[in-house]
Amino acid sequence: MKWIESIGRGLFEPERETSTGELWFFKFFELFVAVYTILFVWEWGWYTQLRNVEVVLPLGLANYLDVSIFFDHNLALIHAALITILVILCFFRLGPKWLYMVVVILFHLQYVIRFSQGEIPHSQNLIGMSVFCFAIGAWFFPGEKQMPRFVMGSIIFFIGLGYTSAFFAKLIGTGFNWYDGRHLWLWISEKSIDILSREGAYYPNFLQQMALKSTVIASVILLIGWFTELIGFTMWWKKIRPYTTTLLIAMHIGITLTMNIRFDAFVMQLILVGYPWYKLADYYMTPMPDLVRKWV
Amino acid sequence: MNTEQTKRGMKVIGVILLIYAVLVGAHEGEFWPFSIYPMFSQAGNPWTRAMVLDVTEVPDEMMWQTQSPHKKSGAPVSMREIGVDQIDFSNFISKTEKWTESRRDAVRLMFGPDNIGDSRWMTAKVHGRMIGRDSVAVTIQPFLLVTADSVYMNPHLDESQYYRGEN
Repeated sequence: MKWIESIGRGLFEPERETSTGELWFFKFFELFVAVYTILFVWEWGWYTQLRNVEVVLPLGLANYLDVSIFFDHNLALIHAALITILVILCFFRLGPKWLYMVVVILFHLQYVIRFSQGEIPHSQNLIGMSVFCFAIGAWFFPGEKQMPRFVMGSIIFFIGLGYTSAFFAKLIGTGFNWYDGRHLWLWISEKSIDILSREGAYYPNFLQQMALKSTVIASVILLIGWFTELIGFTMWWKKIRPYTTTLLIAMHIGITLTMNIRFDAFVMQLILVGYPWYKLADYYMTPMPDLVRKWV
Repeated sequence: MNTEQTKRGMKVIGVILLIYAVLVGAHEGEFWPFSIYPMFSQAGNPWTRAMVLDVTEVPDEMMWQTQSPHKKSGAPVSMREIGVDQIDFSNFISKTEKWTESRRDAVRLMFGPDNIGDSRWMTAKVHGRMIGRDSVAVTIQPFLLVTADSVYMNPHLDESQYYRGEN
């Protein structure tokens, strides 16, 4: 089918030769994902050890496994240490090609251990999805030139899918009137309680004050965000990708300003995968002597 | 990747999509890192969050009364300062259906008896809903009084508020 071929060409760019800059950037991106993975598993491990007492809401594998056994005896921290070692081995391509998949399963387990308290956060999903794509790439496309193209293409595919899926979840969950500005009023008031409780004080910013004063302004804010989610899938095509990425980043800044929800790792990853950074790397590597370039 | 490898790549993505759909379909939309991203999908619904007020200096007859964010009986206790994740805490309070003794004590342990010290902390449910067409009403309902060694339920609330789903 032509549209599948078009998506495949947009994601994996079969006509383009693999360049040194692309390989260099890929390794840098893998380092970014590895560092965030290690940060998350330790952050979750420490929180579990200090705060988790009972399972309130079992997620994923926690539906089949009593994860409360990880709440004591430093087991969540030992688990974090094990994941750290495996991530380092994977980064240096030491061990079997399915080792990344073991990291995915243990990473999932650490998430459901930590987030068994009722919260279902999504800000770490992109890092989790990236580790998953690395696992599939290392297993099915292990070649040093194939793996970067597959991993980056599949990550972009799932990012685009996620945003468009979020659009339809809202359409199905609420209907066409989802963008009614009064819905934003409810969310701003809800988040104001979270901020008040978290910090001990809350003061609405300028954008929140504007939205609370006018349903029209609040509706326009929601409509722009919702439309941006709808076109998330256009990231699949190389030429449109930087523009869609810019809109998505702007949308996240808007969410942060209106609802005080931060997506640091999400936005950083969007910046890394949404723009052709390999061109910049190639530009700076071209004048390098051959010996240095090969080493890089 | 050449054209053949690209086709194979799309087939692999297709298989992953199937697994993705089965996993999120069987787990209410969430099987991390797979998700249908349902956040904010149900707009306009009333909400419930939670917060803690320091009522050490508040007379007993006043501390259980329903309040508003602009007229609170005590100052809010910052969850960040005591190392508790606000979203976790809020979900723990709003999603627990049966407040058994161990679940009530879990709140005390979450705050940490050392953090509470000699204070009296009122854990409150905060409810928000639309009133008419142009305003949001927010009420603070005192729910659990927590001290360093005990947890007390609100004597003015019906028992069904603490044991939802039980007759």
